[in-house]
Amino acid sequence: MNNKKLLVLSWLAILLIVIFTGVFITAMKSNTRMETDLDKYMPQKHPAFIYSNDAEDLFGIKDGIIVAIENKDGIYNEDTLQKIKDITKEIQSMEGIEKSDVTSLYTADNIIGSEYGMEVNAFYKRVPTSEAKLQQLRDDVKANDMIYGRLVSLNEKVTIIIAEINDDTFTDDFYNQILVLGESYEGPETIYVAGSPIVEGTLAKLAPADMKRMAPLVVAIIIIVLLLILRSFKGTILNLLVVLLSTVWTFGLMAVLNIPIYSVSTMIPVMLIAIGVAYGIHLFSHLELYMQKNPDTAKVDALKNMMKHMWKPVVMTAITTAVGFTSLVTSEVYPVKYFGLFTAFGVMSALFFALILIPAGLMIFGLPKPKQFKSKKTKSGNFAYKAADLIVKKKKITILVSVFVIAVSLFGISRVWINSSFLANFEDDSAIVKTDRFINENFAGTSSLNIVLEADENDVFKTPEALKLVDSLQNDLESLEMVGDSFSLADFIRRMNKVMNEDREDFNTIPDSTEMIAQYLLLYEMSGDPENLTSVVDYDYKTLNLTTQMKSDDSRTIKGAIKVIEGYRDDFKELGIDINFAGTGYKGLVFTDLILKGQISSLVLSIFIVIILVSFMFKNFYIGLIASIPILITTLVNFGAMGLLNVALGPTTALISSIAVGIGIDYAIHFIDRYKEYSKETGDKNETAKLTMYNTGRAILFNAVVVIAGFLVLLFSMFPPNRQLGALVSLNMFSSFAGTLTIMFLLLYLSNIYFKNGKKNPKGEK
Amino acid sequence: MKKTKVLIISLMLMAMIIGFAQAQITGQDVMENVYNRPTGPDIQSTLTMTLTNSRGSTRVREIKQFIKQFGEDEKKVMFFVAPSDVKNTSFMSWSYGDGQDDDMWIYLPALKKTKRISSSSKSDYFMGSDFTYDDLGERHPSMDTHKILREETVNGEDCYVVESVSKDSDYFYARTITWVVKDEWFGMKREFYDEDDEFLKILTINEYKKVNGYWVIPEMEMYNEQKDHTTLMQLDDIKIGDGIKDSQFTERMMERGIR
Repeated sequence: MNNKKLLVLSWLAILLIVIFTGVFITAMKSNTRMETDLDKYMPQKHPAFIYSNDAEDLFGIKDGIIVAIENKDGIYNEDTLQKIKDITKEIQSMEGIEKSDVTSLYTADNIIGSEYGMEVNAFYKRVPTSEAKLQQLRDDVKANDMIYGRLVSLNEKVTIIIAEINDDTFTDDFYNQILVLGESYEGPETIYVAGSPIVEGTLAKLAPADMKRMAPLVVAIIIIVLLLILRSFKGTILNLLVVLLSTVWTFGLMAVLNIPIYSVSTMIPVMLIAIGVAYGIHLFSHLELYMQKNPDTAKVDALKNMMKHMWKPVVMTAITTAVGFTSLVTSEVYPVKYFGLFTAFGVMSALFFALILIPAGLMIFGLPKPKQFKSKKTKSGNFAYKAADLIVKKKKITILVSVFVIAVSLFGISRVWINSSFLANFEDDSAIVKTDRFINENFAGTSSLNIVLEADENDVFKTPEALKLVDSLQNDLESLEMVGDSFSLADFIRRMNKVMNEDREDFNTIPDSTEMIAQYLLLYEMSGDPENLTSVVDYDYKTLNLTTQMKSDDSRTIKGAIKVIEGYRDDFKELGIDINFAGTGYKGLVFTDLILKGQISSLVLSIFIVIILVSFMFKNFYIGLIASIPILITTLVNFGAMGLLNVALGPTTALISSIAVGIGIDYAIHFIDRYKEYSKETGDKNETAKLTMYNTGRAILFNAVVVIAGFLVLLFSMFPPNRQLGALVSLNMFSSFAGTLTIMFLLLYLSNIYFKNGKKNPKGEK
Repeated sequence: MKKTKVLIISLMLMAMIIGFAQAQITGQDVMENVYNRPTGPDIQSTLTMTLTNSRGSTRVREIKQFIKQFGEDEKKVMFFVAPSDVKNTSFMSWSYGDGQDDDMWIYLPALKKTKRISSSSKSDYFMGSDFTYDDLGERHPSMDTHKILREETVNGEDCYVVESVSKDSDYFYARTITWVVKDEWFGMKREFYDEDDEFLKILTINEYKKVNGYWVIPEMEMYNEQKDHTTLMQLDDIKIGDGIKDSQFTERMMERGIR
């Protein structure tokens, strides 16, 4: 009777789950979209972004695609020059490209001083054919340091075409188009296509492609390991369903709510695999032990026992984990907020599936077949007992090792560095990195940082004082190894001063009078292309844009430059000038900092939440403190290892430490709950320790092994960030496991919390 | 009697021919009339040029200018009055009817030197304005193919709407459309289309009047739609045919400045 009712309920539950899943899958099919526009990731209301966006608009600061043309015999021949012209024109005619945003030897202005004055000419319009004209062009380039070394390499074998593009211009089509364009001009010249939009574009293609290849492998390995551990086909399937369905529901909900998938959202399934697998494993582990003890039990009784003992810790772990992830809403970065909220939802649905789908499934399809492992039981039992004994007996060693691990981790953390570099995501010998290196060797650099100087009144940037300070800052910047070049209004003025004074090098300076500068500027407007000035100074000569070209987009390089600039802050302040920054590289840096800050505050917050929640759940504050140990250790080891292994913190690597919240809490609660139960059952501290170690420790070990095995597969990925992901997830699982079963266990044991009269207990501590 | 008849017939014929000719006026004719409209032997004025960018920031320049015709050639000298940091900077250009490149000089008082400067291209914008050197000068009608599109009334004036397509496909305007006032032969409005035949900018005349029997435009505005940038040119103290000495157009006078 009762049995039948339960069976009907089980079918009903499964039917409902199937219906909901169907709804979510339909929603995903029609409404799932990837967000690829990086600007959408940034908190638009953050002052740094508002400022940068405004400055980008004012000065037309855009990311540049760089097309490099290399001719090993030198570029000064008819064919190569024709190619420069053709490629320039073809890019200019591409959709979404503004003609004036394409710069090459063909479009560049040549400001030259002649004995009677100043001329601004094109280097060539018709491709020169005669030897004399080619030589003339070559001499012109060599004499112009605004071009030589900037557009034409010093060895005269490479020249670049720079196409600045709007953020919304860069699409998949555009990316393919520009690559095809480059290829079509190959031979005998070599054509390279680089620049941050290309790097981002390649990344956006490569990351999902690699995941598509690797994810089935990860799942396959998890299935195999689950089969080995649970020794049950049904168990494996149900466990897997918990993970898969919670992932489907999570992404389904995102689709229903019309929230796009951000790149950090790819971390959601990672979290759900690690956490979701745990719920099932704990249930099955309990079930199996119960069936070993009571081999002839009825299905319903076994399930009832499982639910009776396990619902509480599973609910507690899920709630704590979900609350821990929800703390990520404090992040200023929307994708991270969503990551936190949806992972929390995923965790709650995993809980729902674990508590409904697993018993319902077992109710319908039957319990896993009882195994004959009498011998095994004693073996693993022995092992667990020995481990518990050993940790307690050698408590000094356990504590010492823990302290040592923490110390090493802290040392590692001191060496952690943030990197918002996109290029760092590629193999060192990949084509894209090689191209970047090639261009950096020959030119000023593929990455840029814009320094925006804002005065408190108009016309400040016509004064010699201000421009001389800018010039001096540029000199200091250019002395940095990784800074290839810098460019500002000061360069224009210096060049004009030189040209107007018979091309004498001693006039390659900022003149001493405001009138002189103003008149040079007027002269430039009359004889040059005044458009060029709009990118270096605003209309009122109140805001100036100093562009720095750097040979790497990694954060150390950008921060190195910023340090030099900050050294000038006071000097500029005296002139009433404020320093700000702009550009994609800088925004990336701020963005990564924000993610990291959000992550750290969320970790700290979740530790507090755990302490409070667990204190309430177990009605004991010390238990709360003890339960926070696995999270602490996991977090410390995670960041410590990153520092020691030189893995930089980026948007995704920072989020991996969230596993500490998910898994660390789970392990702690399961362990403590069981410990508490056994303490009541046995009243004996050592017996409690051994039994807990055997029962919960086993489940924890299984969970860790399954996830570690699955994610270690990622070490064979072609894509470095995925390898880092695999290694870090595995490491986190391991330290959660080790932290819980060693130092947390020991402290719990030593605290005597469930043995108030521990000392009087004859079987207590020896 | 016979004589009168002949006279009447010939008059009628003449009227017919004239009427026919009138009806048959071509775009080419219109633009030639514009090109050949007398502008006076010399003109002096104070030019105030106001540039406004897309953010609404402005740059204002005040210039005293002198222009004189020397047969087919034209000489022009300009002195900056404001802003003060460029005061007395002067600019002189000689343009030639035979099509050779303009000669240009600039005098920078801070440098105390007059320098020759070159303008490589007529497509360069004049002093950061929305006018190219070509827009400010006169483009010979033979360089384009003209067609009357229609007739329209603008500001109460009957105008021919003439489309001029460049014969040189590399020219920076693929075509322009000009509203030319009938019988007065000055432009009231002009649209410019860039090399890709996309709308680039529009010139509008805010004020026109006759000074000394010559049409002058005291106020006009060029709006560059692609850049969202505007140039307003206002002329004051216009004097035509007052007589400007030839010696005004020399380096020595440039360096002396005004007053």
